Amino acid sequence: MATRVEQLPYGIGRFSTRLYLLLAVLLVLVGWGIFAYSREFVEGLAMTGLRNIGTMGGATWGLYVSFVIYFVGVSFAGITMAALIRLFRLDHLRPLSRMAEALTVIALVLAAFTILLDLGQPLRGVINLFRYARPQSPFFGTFTLVISGYLFASLIYLYLDGRRDAALLARQPGPLRGFYRLWAAGYRDTPAERTRHERVSFWLAIAIVPLLVTAHSTLGFVFGIQSGRPGWFSTLQAPGFVVMAGVSGIGLLLVIAAVMRVVLAEREQLHEGIFRWLGTLLLLLILAYLYFMVVEVLTTTYAGHHHEVRISLSLLTGQFAWLFWGAVAALVLAVIVLLLPYLPPGLRARVPATRPRWALVFGAAALVPASLVALQGLNLLTVLSAGARSLLAWLAVALALLCFLLLLPHLSRNVVAAAATAGILVNVAAIGKRLLIVVPSQTHGTLLPYGDGTYTPTWVEVSIVIGLFALGTLLYTLFFKVFPIMEVHAAEEGAQ
Amino acid sequence: MRATLAILMVIVGFALQAVSYFFLAAPWGIPSSPVYSNPRVPFAPALFILGVMLVFLAAVVYELLPDRQAQ
Repeated sequence: MATRVEQLPYGIGRFSTRLYLLLAVLLVLVGWGIFAYSREFVEGLAMTGLRNIGTMGGATWGLYVSFVIYFVGVSFAGITMAALIRLFRLDHLRPLSRMAEALTVIALVLAAFTILLDLGQPLRGVINLFRYARPQSPFFGTFTLVISGYLFASLIYLYLDGRRDAALLARQPGPLRGFYRLWAAGYRDTPAERTRHERVSFWLAIAIVPLLVTAHSTLGFVFGIQSGRPGWFSTLQAPGFVVMAGVSGIGLLLVIAAVMRVVLAEREQLHEGIFRWLGTLLLLLILAYLYFMVVEVLTTTYAGHHHEVRISLSLLTGQFAWLFWGAVAALVLAVIVLLLPYLPPGLRARVPATRPRWALVFGAAALVPASLVALQGLNLLTVLSAGARSLLAWLAVALALLCFLLLLPHLSRNVVAAAATAGILVNVAAIGKRLLIVVPSQTHGTLLPYGDGTYTPTWVEVSIVIGLFALGTLLYTLFFKVFPIMEVHAAEEGAQ
Repeated sequence: MRATLAILMVIVGFALQAVSYFFLAAPWGIPSSPVYSNPRVPFAPALFILGVMLVFLAAVVYELLPDRQAQ
């Protein structure tokens, strides 16, 4: 026994040089985000690209609100999976339960931060919300019921679910023993305690499932019941939000599970069956979302009011077409990737083998022109002409497609890589779709006779969002370094 | 004792939600001024959230309350 800490399961307490490097990079990004926010806090929202609708030709909701929706959506998967595993006894998915719960909690914390960042006076906003908000309003439902009630419920679920593991870990001496004892709160893993925990988990799962459907529908209602805002006013907003939340959340969970499988070398517990099962669920949700999207576009373009048609055309052929078709392409590519495991074995054997490293080279090369176009879009680079910008954008698309095509043979043989790739694609699509929900209806959806507006996020907004992602990754990494990311099994117990 | 306390917390939590929603926050009567939009009792929304939290806290109480034998 070299050191006691080394015996803790799933790499708890083990910090390698690479991990320290990752933590340092994440801390720098968080620090950069805090610096950007300090500029916004001191100078006001003028530091952002947010402007009044109509009179100033802008959008009052932009990147922040889009990411609130994204983070709340991501949180959906975690607690849904945990609840479904419990309710339907999906024991083969149990290794995912803890990482899903942690994802929910961290995503909701990020959502809470993001909505505060959107306020010019965050503290005044918080106090007034609790003082003057009307529980009947979808805003109240979203920003208090979801973020406080749903977060609180998820924390309780995570806490109670982790007591057994905390009690097991508290048996060993170590620097975190006090923390594990506190978490275990006297748990001794007796049959009576196990029965009680099963009972509580079942009822919590029963309570959480309707709460989360309500929460995500409420978020959809924030937009869906605004009758004076073409593009938002739709009965499909609420179900669309629930389905897209599932798509982005399960996608991110697949990515996290794939990373954990590699980092922790847990091929037995995080077996291919988990990725195949979740991949199939993701495939069904994407198809449902694509169906909603087609129905919405057909209805508004065929029989919509001319204001609705204006919004739809801005998405299909106008200013937002690149984002709309980009998101659609990402969803369709994810469907293709997720269908690969269903190829007949004979056909799969005929697919030529390619090296994924070449695909990665083309993927990295695509990032260069894409970054240049993005910098020009943020007004941080002004040397590119419109023609050069368009050329670079198409070059990025071509390189990305080449990367994807070269990756396909590898993905057809590797279920885990296919599921993780689909997870990344659907999250890119989800971010794009969130922006498309929030922005166009403000810049192109006014019923008053104003011209088309514009919205371009500034470096402050982009830096803050990057800082938030870094904060989420940092919290997640630290969590799984102090607590088991999967339930501790008999083998690990024996080792202790 | 354990079950009684947990059920009591759930009932009180739901009652708090209902009372704060319908009687302390919802607008009653005919709108006469902008103040009509405010909850009739300040911090009624906070009470509603407290009710939601109380319901979920019942799970912790149910699981953490020590057994009589252990005591």
